[in-house]
Amino acid sequence: MSVAALHKVDLKPKDYKSEVSVVWCPGCGYHGILSSIYKSLAELGVDSSNLMAISGIGCSSRTPYFIKSYKMHTLHGRAGPVATGAQLAQPEQAVLVTGGDGDGFSIGGGHMPHMARKNVNLTYILYDNGIYGLTKGQYSPTSRPELKAYTTPYGGPDEPMNPLLYMLTYGATYVAQGFAGKPQLCAELIKGALEHKGFSYVNIFSQCPTFNSIDTVEFYRELVREVPEGHDTSNLGAAMELARRDAEGHAPIGLLYKVNRPTLDERLAAIVTKVGGHKGYDINKIIDLASP
Amino acid sequence: MAKNDLIIRVAGEGGEGVVSTGDFVAAACARAGLEIYTFKTFPAEIKGGYAMYQVRTSPDRIYNQGDTFDVLCAFNGEAYEVNKHLLKPGTAFVYDYPGGDFEPDAIPEGVHAYPIPMSKTAKEMKSYRSKNMVAMGALSVLFNINEVTLKQVLTKKFGKKGEEILNFNLQAFEKGKELAMPLKKTDPWRVADATAPKDVIVISGNDAAGMGALLGGLEFFSAYPITPATEIAKYVATHLPKLGGTLIQAEDEIASIGQVLGASYAGKKSMTATSGPGLALMAEMLGMAFMSETPVMLVDVQRGGPSTGLPTKHEQSDLFLAIHGAHGDAPRIVLSVEDVKDCIDMTVDALNLAEEYQCPVLLLSDGSLAFSTQTVPRPNPADYTIVHRKMWDGEGTYARYKMTEDGISPMVNPGTPGGMHIATGLEHTESGAPSFKAETHEQMQAKRFGKIKPVVNRYKPTEVDGEGEADLGIITWGSTIGVAREAVARLRAEGYKVKGFYPKLMWPMPVEQYEAFAATCKKILVPEVNYQGQLSHFIRAETSIKPIPFTICGGLPFTPIQMMDRVKEII
Ligand SMILES: Cc1ncc(C[n+]2csc(CCOP(=O)(O)OP(=O)(O)O)c2C)c(N)n1
Ligand code: SF4
Ligand SMILES: [Mg+2]
Repeated sequence: MSVAALHKVDLKPKDYKSEVSVVWCPGCGYHGILSSIYKSLAELGVDSSNLMAISGIGCSSRTPYFIKSYKMHTLHGRAGPVATGAQLAQPEQAVLVTGGDGDGFSIGGGHMPHMARKNVNLTYILYDNGIYGLTKGQYSPTSRPELKAYTTPYGGPDEPMNPLLYMLTYGATYVAQGFAGKPQLCAELIKGALEHKGFSYVNIFSQCPTFNSIDTVEFYRELVREVPEGHDTSNLGAAMELARRDAEGHAPIGLLYKVNRPTLDERLAAIVTKVGGHKGYDINKIIDLASP
Repeated sequence: MAKNDLIIRVAGEGGEGVVSTGDFVAAACARAGLEIYTFKTFPAEIKGGYAMYQVRTSPDRIYNQGDTFDVLCAFNGEAYEVNKHLLKPGTAFVYDYPGGDFEPDAIPEGVHAYPIPMSKTAKEMKSYRSKNMVAMGALSVLFNINEVTLKQVLTKKFGKKGEEILNFNLQAFEKGKELAMPLKKTDPWRVADATAPKDVIVISGNDAAGMGALLGGLEFFSAYPITPATEIAKYVATHLPKLGGTLIQAEDEIASIGQVLGASYAGKKSMTATSGPGLALMAEMLGMAFMSETPVMLVDVQRGGPSTGLPTKHEQSDLFLAIHGAHGDAPRIVLSVEDVKDCIDMTVDALNLAEEYQCPVLLLSDGSLAFSTQTVPRPNPADYTIVHRKMWDGEGTYARYKMTEDGISPMVNPGTPGGMHIATGLEHTESGAPSFKAETHEQMQAKRFGKIKPVVNRYKPTEVDGEGEADLGIITWGSTIGVAREAVARLRAEGYKVKGFYPKLMWPMPVEQYEAFAATCKKILVPEVNYQGQLSHFIRAETSIKPIPFTICGGLPFTPIQMMDRVKEII
C-alpha cells in the first residue's frame, strides 16, 4: 500500500466509523479486528477518501460497510482480482481487502498465489475463524477435522491448510499473524501492513462463538505464541520454520516476514516508460503499422 | 459474380509458408488498390496439420469469403486430398509437381492444371523455406498478381532481415515466374489490374478490435489467453503502453473480468476479450457489474461449442449466453459485428456505451472474423468520439445510485473528497446501503432496466437492405450478414424479390425495426451458424414475427450460394 503517498490527516479511530451499524454477533472476534483497523488507520493518518476497502462475501466481508472510505462489496472469493484492478487504476491510493478463510482460500483460492507473487500493492486481512460464518457454520479450509459442523456431522475429512506457509511459498512480501483477542498486536501488524509497499498479508485468528464450537477464545489463547524476539523477518526459511508451528503445535503471532520487491504497478509503469509511452502519443503511428 | 472477383486458395501443411503466401498476395492486391477479404482455417495442433488461406480480391467491395475458390494452389498431397472434390470444371489448379509428395489422380475434365515443381526448385536452391516464394512467382505470372506491388510487399517484409535474405527470396520468386512462363494459360482467371491506390489498412478482426480499443480511449485491459481471441490481447499489450495504458494477464477469466470491474470503479476505461468458455466463467461478475452499475466492456470472439468444442472453428452460438448469461434478471447491452471494419468502429461504440449507460456491454465477434484480414478505409482518429461517464458535480450529498430522470446516476472517482460510497452487489438504496425491501428491489430493477431501454432509439447500427415489398426477407447477424448481402444482391439480379435486415444491436432488441421490416416481407428466413437458431428464438420471443430458421454448425461460415439455394427452395 502507498500510505506514504496519502494525504495525511489527524483523526481518531472513531472517525473512521461509517454510519452503518455493525451486524456481527455479540462475542464475535471480528469486533476486535475492526477496532484494530480503525486504530491503525488513525495512527497512520490515512485520508479516507484515498482509501479503497474491498471485500468478497462472508460475515468478514461486511467490513467495508463499517469503514469510512471508498469501498466495494463484490462476489464470494473475488475481492482479490477486483482490488487488483482498482489498485492498478489508482496506484497512489491505499487498498485494503478484508475477507474470510472460505472467501480467500476456498472459492477465491485461485487468486491468492497471484496477488502474492505479482506483489500487488495492497493489504489483505484474512479473518480466520475456521468456519463459514455467513452460511451458518460449514467447515472451511482452515477447520480442524475435530470440528463437527453443518456438513460434517461426524467430523471433517480434510486436513486444514496453513495460510502462512501458503503465503510465504507464493511470495507475499509481508506476512503476519494475529489473534482477535490481542487487538493491540493486531493494530500494530495491520499498521505495518498498510505501511508496507507490496502485497501484505495478515492472518487473524478469530472466534466464531455462534458456529465454531471448538476454536474458542480459550483455544486460541492456548494455541498462539508470540514470534520470538530476535527472529529475522527477512529470512524466508526462518519464517517458514515458524509458520510450520513448533513441536507442541503452537501457532506464531507477530510479524514473520517482510522484504521489498518491485510491485506490479511499478513493473507496469516501467513498461510504459520503456516504450516511451504517454497520453499524447500519436495513435496514427500505430494505425500506419497496418498499411499493406 | 463479376469476372474480376477472384478467389485464390493456398493450402498445405501448417508452417510451410501457407499463411505468409496468403498474406503477401493479399497485401499486394491491397497495394494495387483492390479490395481483399481473406479466410483461413488452422490446424488445432501447434505444429503441422492442414492449413488453408484463401484470398478473395476484387476492385469492388467484398462482403464475405465467397462460395468456393477459382484457383487452388496445393503445397502437398493432403491439401490436394482435402480440396480435390472442389476442383470443378473451370477452376485452376496449381500444384507441387514433379518432386512434391504427391501425384494427383486423373485431373477432371475442364480443370486447368499447372504443375510447378515447388519443392524440387526449393531443394535445388538449398532452402526448403523458399518453396512458397517459388509458388508465389508462378501464381503472379499465371493470375496477373501485380508484380510491382508484390515485390514491394516482399521488400517491406524481408528488407528488415537484410539484403541477403531479401535477394534470396526474390530469386526464388523469379524461379517461380520462369517455371510458369512457358505454361499455356487456358483459364480465364486473373486478378483485376491495379487501380489508384486507396488509403486503406489491411487488418484482421482481432487486431481491429485491439485498434478500436485504442481509438476508444481504453486505459486498462486484463486478459486470459483463449483461442480465437488472444490476438486482441497481443495487439493491446503491444500498443497500449505507448499510449500510457497497461495490459495484464490474469490467472483466469474470473480474475480478468474482476480486474476490469475494479479498474473501472476506480475510474479507468477498461475491457477484456475472451471466447465462449471464458464468457461462461464471467457470468457472475457481469451480473455484479449490472447490479453495481459499473461500466465494463468485453469482446467475445465466438468459437465452436459447447464445452471445449471446436476451438479453432467458426460458430455463432453465444447469443443466449451473451444476453442472458447471469443469475437473476441482469441484462446487458449486446452488439455484434459484421466485418473487420465493424471490429474497429463497434469496439469504440461498445466502450462508449458502457461508459454512457454504466453497465456491461458485450461485443460479439466470431471465429471467421478473428483471423480474416480485410481492406478497411484507414481510420482517422479525429472521426471517433470518446464518451466519458457522467460524473458527480460535487454538489450536495453524494448518492451513488441516485434516482435520476434517465436512470443514470453520476459516478465519482476514488480520491474525491465527499464522494465516498460503496459499489455493491447486494440490493441497495440510492446511497448504496443494503436493503431487501420489496419496493427497493422493484424500484432499483426498474431503474437499471429502464436506463438501458433508450439505447434502441439512440444507437441504430441496424441496416435494411432493399426497399418496398419482398417475397422473402433475410434476417441474420454477425459475419453471416456479409454472406446475406451478396446472396440478396445475386438473387435480386436473378429477378427474386428479396430483402435483408441486419441487426447489430442484439440487446436490447430494436423490436420496432424488426416488425417494420417483417411487415414488408411475406416470409422471414433467419440463417445463423448454430444448432438451435438462437436469433430465431429471440425473434419469436420478442416480436410477432414467425421466422423460418436456417441453421448450420459445421465449423464453417455460410456461402452465398448455400443461402441462395435455400431461399429458392422456400420462397
Ligand atoms: C458463488 C457463491 N457461492 C456460495 C456463496 C455462499 N457463501 C457466502 S459466504 C460463504 C462462506 C463464508 O465463509 P468465510 O469466507 O470464511 O467468511 P465468514 O463468514 O466466516 O467471515 C459462502 C459459502 C456465495 N455467496 N457465492
Ligand atoms: S456467524 Fe460467526 S463469524 Fe459471523 S458474525 Fe456471527 S460470530 Fe461472527
Ligand atoms: Mg470464515
